[in-house]
This record gives sequence, C-alpha cells and structure tokens, in this order.
Amino acid sequence: MEKILDKKQIDGWIAALTAKSQDGWEVHAPMLEEGIWTYQPASGAVRLDHPNTNQSPKGFAFPQREIFFSFEQIKGEAPRLTQVLPKEQRHAVFGVRPCDGRGVPRMDKVFTDHVEDPYYNARRKNVAYVGLACNKPPSPNCFCLSVGGSPVSTDGLDVQLTDLGDRYFVKAITETGKALMTAGGKLFTDPSAADQKQVKQVHTDAVAHPQRKINDPDGAPAKLRASFNSPLWEEMARACIGCGICTFLCPTCHCFDINDEVQSKAPLKGQRVRTWDNCQFPDFTMHSSGHNPRENTGARLRQRVNHKFQYFHENFGMHQCTGCGRCISGCPVGIDIVAVVNKVTEHAG
Amino acid sequence: MPDNIYLPQLARVSSIKEEVAGERSIKTFRVEPVDGKLFDHQCGQCAMLSIFGRGESMISIASSPLIREYKQFSIMRVGRVSSAFHELEVGDVIGLRGPYGNSFPVDDWRGKNLYFIGGGCGLAPIWPVITTAVAQRANFKNVTVFYGGRTSRDIMYRAELEKLRESVDVHLSIDRMEEGWDGYCGFVPAAVMDKDPLPDNAIAITCGPPIMIKFVIQNLNKLGFKDEQIYTTIENKMKCGIGKCGRCNVGKDYVCVKGPVYSWAVLKNLPEEY
Repeated sequence: MEKILDKKQIDGWIAALTAKSQDGWEVHAPMLEEGIWTYQPASGAVRLDHPNTNQSPKGFAFPQREIFFSFEQIKGEAPRLTQVLPKEQRHAVFGVRPCDGRGVPRMDKVFTDHVEDPYYNARRKNVAYVGLACNKPPSPNCFCLSVGGSPVSTDGLDVQLTDLGDRYFVKAITETGKALMTAGGKLFTDPSAADQKQVKQVHTDAVAHPQRKINDPDGAPAKLRASFNSPLWEEMARACIGCGICTFLCPTCHCFDINDEVQSKAPLKGQRVRTWDNCQFPDFTMHSSGHNPRENTGARLRQRVNHKFQYFHENFGMHQCTGCGRCISGCPVGIDIVAVVNKVTEHAG
Repeated sequence: MPDNIYLPQLARVSSIKEEVAGERSIKTFRVEPVDGKLFDHQCGQCAMLSIFGRGESMISIASSPLIREYKQFSIMRVGRVSSAFHELEVGDVIGLRGPYGNSFPVDDWRGKNLYFIGGGCGLAPIWPVITTAVAQRANFKNVTVFYGGRTSRDIMYRAELEKLRESVDVHLSIDRMEEGWDGYCGFVPAAVMDKDPLPDNAIAITCGPPIMIKFVIQNLNKLGFKDEQIYTTIENKMKCGIGKCGRCNVGKDYVCVKGPVYSWAVLKNLPEEY
C-alpha cells in the first residue's frame, strides 16, 4: 500500500489512531524538549523534523526499568509472588529512523532466540514502528551504509514515511502498517506518477550522501577474532571513564540486570526488577570472589565492539550495530566505534 | 520450561549442613518443592536460587539427577545472596528456577575409567556425576576420586567421601601436613601425579579453583591424557540464565547456555574470559 499524506494531515492521522473507535493506539513522536529530542506522547503539532532522537526507541519493547513480579512474605509463612505482566496497550512510534528500525529485528533475535522473554514479547507485539527515511544523514556520525543498512531501509518498520517537501510518501511494510494507514482513511490520497518519480529520486539521493565508513565490515568478524589479544584495545580504551552512555543510547544493546527492591522488611514486601545494565561497568562481570574476567577498560571496550561486530555476527549472521552513531556523538571522551573497528581490523594478522 | 522463565518456583529448605566453617564457609542445603514437583536436571546443570528481598544467584546442582525428591546445593559464603543463604533455617522458603546450561556427557562415558579431580568447593559441581556413576557402578570401569582441601577442615562431604570408598577409589589431600592426616599432603595436581593415572579408555573431570584446574590439566596432558578426554566446568557472573542479560559470554557463547561443562579441547580454543 502506497499513499500520499499532506503534512498538515499528520495530526489528523494520529488523532484517528488514538480514537477509541479504532484500535486505541497510543502514539509517540519525537518532541524537542530543552534541546533534546525524545519520544513523547503525541498530542497534536507533530512535525517530524527531528535529526534523530537522543535515545533510541528500544525502550518501547524493552523499558529501562520494569517489574517482573512482586513478593510479599509474612514471617513464618511462604512468600507470595505476583507476576506483573505489561499492560495491553498498543504503541505506535512515529518518526523512527531506519537505523533504529533495524535495531528492532536485532532485539527480537536476542529476546526470542533459545527461550522467549515473556515481558519483551508482551510489549513487542503491541508496538508498531512508523519510520521516516533519512533524505540526508541526520548526524555527522551516521554510518548505516557500512553495516548493511541504508537511509531508506524498511527493516523492522511497519510503515515508511518519506519526506517529499509538503507531503509524505507513505508505504505500508507490514499488515500492521496497512491497518495503521487504513485507520487514516480519506486523509490519504493515491500517489501520482510524479510522486512515484520524486520518491525514487529522493531515495537515490539519500543513499548517495557521504557518510562515515567502516572499511571492512564483512571481514570484521574474522579480523576481530584474530585480534582478541591485541594491545590496541587497552590503548584505545585508556580514556574511557566507564560511564556507559554508549550502550545506554544504543538501539541494540540489550544487557540487563535483575535486582530485588525492598519496600518493607517486616512483613517483607518488594519487587524483582529488570533494569538496563552495561558491559562498560566493572561489576557487570565481577564474580563475588572479586575475580573479574573483564578487569580493565580495554577488555570492556573489546566486549562492546566484539559483541556487535563478531559474536552477534557469528550467532545470527548480521552485525549488531546499525550505524546510528549515537555512541560516538554521546561519548564524553571521544571513543569512536568506527575508528576502533577500522584500526583493529587494519592491524589484524 | 514454564511460560514465565523469570518466575521462580517455591522450594522449602529441608536440611542444612555446615561443610566447612570459617571465613569462607560452605553449607549444603537440600530443598524440596512447596507445591508439585521440582524440575528434572542433568549432571552439571545449574539453577538460579532466590532469596526474596536479597536477589538471585546461579548455583550448580550438587545432587544426582536420579534423586527426584530434593535438590542439593553447596554454597560458599562470598556475596550478598550466598551470605543470605547462610542465614537460612530449615523450613525457610526460597525461589528456584532452572535447570540451566549443558551437562556432562555421562552416557558417552559408559565402559570407561573415570577420574574425578576436585578442589575446595569444586567438588559440588562434579558431585552429581560422581554419585550417578556410583549409583550406576556397573556402567563404568574404574572410578577414582581425587579431592583436596587447604586443610582437613576444608574437606567438604567428608562423611559421604568415606562412604564412597566402599565402591570407588578415593584419594584425599590437604595442602600442608597436619597431625593425624593419613592422606596425601600437597596440592591437588601433585596428588594426581602421585597416583599416575593411566589415560587409556579414561575420562578426567576436574573442578576447583582456576589455578588448580590449570595445573591439573597440564599434569593430565603430561600423563598422556588428550584434551578431549578432559572435562571441566567454568563459572561467570549470571543474571538471567537464558543467554539474554549479556554478561557471562566467553566469545560468542553464553556460559549459562553453552556451558558450564566444557571439554578442554573446546575450552582451550576460547578466549580466556572466565
């Protein structure tokens, strides 16, 4: 399904999706707040003119903090556990850039491979991603083309919007996407031959824009494997302060911690909670004996880079990085994953 | 596997035994289901144990899969959760989920000589294999257990080891001589060399402190054991048990899924991140 939507009608489309008579979607779109683009509940005046959001939209299926279950125990009795599964609420996320769209199938691999994660699944099945093609790279650190992506990729998306000036070219990618567009009814019109021609040109130009470049992405898994003991890791990670912003902002970083939070000791009341965790933190892997298999910043940088460009590729046949560039832009000490991969692979064997 | 992998089953502590006292004390817990039955497991697998309000910890299952009434865990007091375990009393209720990880290929070892080489609390992960081999004694040829503690007070499962002598060879060792000790005196790798085990038709299973494992394997190689005849287990910090939380990987594989049991032929080719 391919349609044209006048930009002035986007709020009307969102209103139609939100209406109770429809499926009751909760729509989120990028909003600029104190200089930071974040996904906010859309309440009119949606203008998809953001570069990319500060954080990726991974939190819609994998929130930063979520409760697994609550526990309650009166002394001398068995504990009572109450499962807390996510609310059945559908979320339509607007303005998702192609790199973040490509993060979605990668997260799906992690949370559905081997054993399904019930919390991720419950949220994921209720999220639809309405993507926005990048007519030009929104960040100087974009490198989606190096990792098998593209500024016009539709991977992971349900709908793709392409900005044609005063209107969007709207393409349904999935059945869910079709349903979202159908909800907009007559707001959508059929594309003319000129629209079709223009969207093709915009896409061709988008791909032609220069970006940052990983020189040998296909050779990276083998070269990284050969470079495990390279002294470069420690050298390149020397400045790292272990803040973890790189993984916090990443659309595919999925590592998490599980902890008990106690509200009351007697009677015991609390919750088991999952929160995002971070491979750049020393205690991420520290045994209770004090032994740490990744005891310095070099080993931890290697883990982040190898996970994305070697281990994930060996397990699933694709890089875990989608080239959004957030970890580069956000790093307070200038650690640059493109430069790191290039340097290590150039020095390999 | 249950629908919600993260939701533990409740289990009641039916017995507690102090194996080793002191700063790094070890206690053995047996737990039984509060309702229904516990999961089945295989030799070498682990379970995630909960004390609600304190958290979870991955512990190897120390009882034989042949025992279905209870699961046994021997826990050294080292961290937040293990310390909370040491405060438990019989009758207390804990959480249990699992089993996790791979297992020792015990069925492939029928008709072979088995050498178990343990040190410290490293006896617990191989205890299910030892007790299974003893229960199915006719399936195996010679079974020999080497086990050492720093002192005689650090020897765990002392009474059980004495009973094992009825059906298998048991060689106990301590690091430094003590009065009244009639076993070997010295480190475990040397205790193995002292008995000169033959590699023919044999499998060696070793578990203990990393430094002990390293020298045990070196010595086994010297004795002519091939890498694929040597098995060990590794541990890493774990949170989920199902290869998602991202911390226990060695290379591309998560120890909670592809481990904890490795043949040395496989493990020696993996990055040393454990």
